[in-house]
Amino acid sequence: MNNFSIGKKLINIATKQKAFLAIVVMLVIMLFSKTNFYTAYNLFDLMKSVSVLMILAFGVTLVLVAGGCDLSIGGIMVLSGIVAIKLMNADVPMLISILAALLMGAVVGAINGYLVVYQRTEPFIITLGMGMLLTGIAQQLTDAHPVPCKHPTFVTLANGKLFDTIPNLVIVMLVVFFIIHYILRYTSFGRNCYAIGGDYEVAKYSGINVLPIKAATFVVCGITAALGGVMLSSMLNSGSSTYGDTTALVVNCGVVVGGTSFAGGIGSAPQSAIGLLVFGVLQNSMNMLGIDAYVQQILQGIVIVAIICLDCYGRKRKREAV
Amino acid sequence: MREQISFKSVIQTVFRDYLVLVAIALLVIITAIVEPKFLTTGNMTNIMRQFGPLIMVALGMTFVIIGGFIDLSVSGMLSLVAVVTISLIEPLGQVGALIVGLCLGAFCGYLNSVLILVSGAMKQAEALFITFGMSTVYGALALILSGGRTKQMSWIKADTSIFKAIGTGTVGFLSVSFIMFLVCLLLLYIFQNKTYMGRAIYLTGGNKTAAELAGIPIKRSIAFIYTISGLMTALGAIVLFSRVTTASPVIGKGYETNAILSVVVGGTTLVGGNGSVLRTVLGTTLVILLSNCMNLLGVSVYMQYMMRGAILILAIWLDNRKQL
Repeated sequence: MNNFSIGKKLINIATKQKAFLAIVVMLVIMLFSKTNFYTAYNLFDLMKSVSVLMILAFGVTLVLVAGGCDLSIGGIMVLSGIVAIKLMNADVPMLISILAALLMGAVVGAINGYLVVYQRTEPFIITLGMGMLLTGIAQQLTDAHPVPCKHPTFVTLANGKLFDTIPNLVIVMLVVFFIIHYILRYTSFGRNCYAIGGDYEVAKYSGINVLPIKAATFVVCGITAALGGVMLSSMLNSGSSTYGDTTALVVNCGVVVGGTSFAGGIGSAPQSAIGLLVFGVLQNSMNMLGIDAYVQQILQGIVIVAIICLDCYGRKRKREAV
Repeated sequence: MREQISFKSVIQTVFRDYLVLVAIALLVIITAIVEPKFLTTGNMTNIMRQFGPLIMVALGMTFVIIGGFIDLSVSGMLSLVAVVTISLIEPLGQVGALIVGLCLGAFCGYLNSVLILVSGAMKQAEALFITFGMSTVYGALALILSGGRTKQMSWIKADTSIFKAIGTGTVGFLSVSFIMFLVCLLLLYIFQNKTYMGRAIYLTGGNKTAAELAGIPIKRSIAFIYTISGLMTALGAIVLFSRVTTASPVIGKGYETNAILSVVVGGTTLVGGNGSVLRTVLGTTLVILLSNCMNLLGVSVYMQYMMRGAILILAIWLDNRKQL
């Protein structure tokens, strides 16, 4: 009985979740390739590289659900890592440096929120400009060179392992996942986000305090992006202004791949995790198969275009059916 | 009441154009005082040459933004066209390479519009992501075709070279690329204001549903705006690599944001439906002058990048304040 319902659930997920199906297909292909894909080392490596993007993606999910869009996360990510490392190199305690980086993320998120929600500007252009601005600051701070971290224990923050098996980075990712999932599913704030994204005017006339709630999603996104940046620079033990060039667009696409819609009102944290996993598995398998870096870039571009087009096409069909 | 032309609205409209002009004038005066080299003929020619590639891309982008869309694929497209054209000069000859380059640009632009139309991505954000993905594809194609190496232009063998003329030639005071810009501006201005399609683009940007119900062929106008953007990007690529005589596969990096910046700073609103190619000329002048002045004043490249982000945010914010 139990078995039956699980099977039914799996079929349901497979038909609804194209992203999940894509992962399964890729995993099966890798099963038949003669590579080291299915080794514990590679799988943990895959998890680690995806985790940073996932931390960013959960914040983006919240923004997208509430009908916004944030492309400044790449800039926030690189800047927060550099801020944390610069402070640590100046003998500021690790905890305070990290908190300062997170505060920076929150402030940037608040500025985004103010401009987008209270001044009613187009979210993606404003945040694109904000991303440029932050990347510029990061380059100015570092002279476009990677900054190594002199703090001895910062590197263990992401690379250390719990019980000698699970990397801390994955634990942090899971904690962020549960927090965002809890916010979206079980709090009135989360439900209001869905309402605002679904129909802004209706939400407004239903007595939801739309402005502060929508602005708050940007602040949360800023904080998660900063956290992702801190974890990334801890993983690499250095901060560089060049990491975040395409991060923002890849993360946003990943979230949409998972099933969160640009139109707002649809989506959840587990879906976003699956969406990002598609990109992670794709990247890792292509590396394992030894595909040329430029061809990888083409394939990634085609995947992004195909998925966004499918997302739009689905909505077009729905519009025409009504 | 809103339709009435009040004194206040006239002042506001004047101020909107005036602001860019004031900024340009201030920039010129301050730089000329601090750094006298700014006003030399050498620097002016330099500015005129730098003007060429960006203005072409920005003029194309103007149509996309007026139509209510956005095109991030210009950076990848520019690299692709530059690499393809430069490597075809040898086998096809100059004219052949030029024609293939322009056709490739127009085709890439058309491909964007086909993807957008087939998937029904009528929102700016959706078009943004689709064109970003296409930019990755075009950029990667440029990298594959060139093998990741910078291509050299082989015009030295020929006595008369079109590309040499575009890159370094002058007619009297004006450089050839500047004359090309003037011709394009004239043609596009006529297209925008005097033809059916030009007006249809405005209406498409203003309100797609209303335009469709009024019988405006919005699909054709969307195909038009992206094809124009592709064609102008190809022209920009040709002007750019003629000037620097090499084509790196990442030559177009940053052109998409600079073009959007030029259009928006000029006063064309992102919502679509209004704006003009003439405004874009003003915006591009400001962006190019700013970069030239900051170079002369010794501001670091990273600082310039930062300032561009800040100006983009400021321009959109001011733009939005006007509409409220």
